[in-house]
Amino acid sequence: MNFLTLFARNLRRGPYTEPFPFGPAAPAPKRLRGRIAFDAKICEGCLLCEKLCPSGAIRFLRTPGGLAFGCWHATCVFCGTCAFYCPSGAIHQTNEWSLAHLEAEKFALAEHGLIPAIVCVECGGKGLDTAPNVAKVRPPLSDEERAQLRARCPKCRNKFLKNRGKAS
Amino acid sequence: MTLVDKLKDCAARSPWLYRINAGSCNGCDVELATTALVPRYDVERLGCVYCGSPRHADIVLISGPLTVHVLAAAQRVYAEVPDPKVTVAVGVCPISGGIFRESYAVCAPIDRYFPVDVNVPGCPPRPQAIIEGVAKAIAIWRSRL
Repeated sequence: MNFLTLFARNLRRGPYTEPFPFGPAAPAPKRLRGRIAFDAKICEGCLLCEKLCPSGAIRFLRTPGGLAFGCWHATCVFCGTCAFYCPSGAIHQTNEWSLAHLEAEKFALAEHGLIPAIVCVECGGKGLDTAPNVAKVRPPLSDEERAQLRARCPKCRNKFLKNRGKAS
Repeated sequence: MTLVDKLKDCAARSPWLYRINAGSCNGCDVELATTALVPRYDVERLGCVYCGSPRHADIVLISGPLTVHVLAAAQRVYAEVPDPKVTVAVGVCPISGGIFRESYAVCAPIDRYFPVDVNVPGCPPRPQAIIEGVAKAIAIWRSRL
């Protein structure tokens, strides 16, 4: 709700009390900077968010299963830097504010994601199933080419893109 | 209903709130004032009122990352709050240190020094989130009577 509509409503209705917590809470503003959400499928694995996070809430961990993402909301300051700099929009902020919890649930209040590890189809080396960073590649890649890129390790991805330029 | 439950019901009254600013940037304190004073949120619907003395309080709201300088004073004031008391950590600073985590000048997280019951994360938390935390604290407080 923008300022003018809120102002008009306040003039019409006068002061009022929200029923929360005895009733449902009024919907939060759409652009409220709340809980972080992470989509592992479109993450490019650049780790920029981990470097930029001022409070150290975002951590990536290399595990045998792949690259694990973790964001602990009890230390996140909801500044939105990660969402602003994320090149693919994999990390974004929701407007969810209801985060009050008991002490026992303190460490459970986290967002998790896993970018699975893959074996490269070309060289058999280790790779990650990250979304390819191909926004600037011309001509744009087809969906089929994107899927082929995803199944390769970083070195074979570069080779694939080079050879693609030669063939066309 | 047993006699003990009846006595507990008699003992239940309106829980009073006491704020300890343990080195907070004042952001959470402004939101706490908003929660109490702005009619849209109005924490007094829950029977809560801010009191000036820790000896009258039932629920303690701690904001700020508990700086080294304020640690002894905060502990002294906290000890003056009569039992049963419920502790609420308001904002990310007391819960984990937030932006000041791993600094030499803060003692966060505060659960190393105080028995925290409810956490309300946010930087600062919305007034609705603080009311939600206070409602949870009241439920714990009633169970402790």
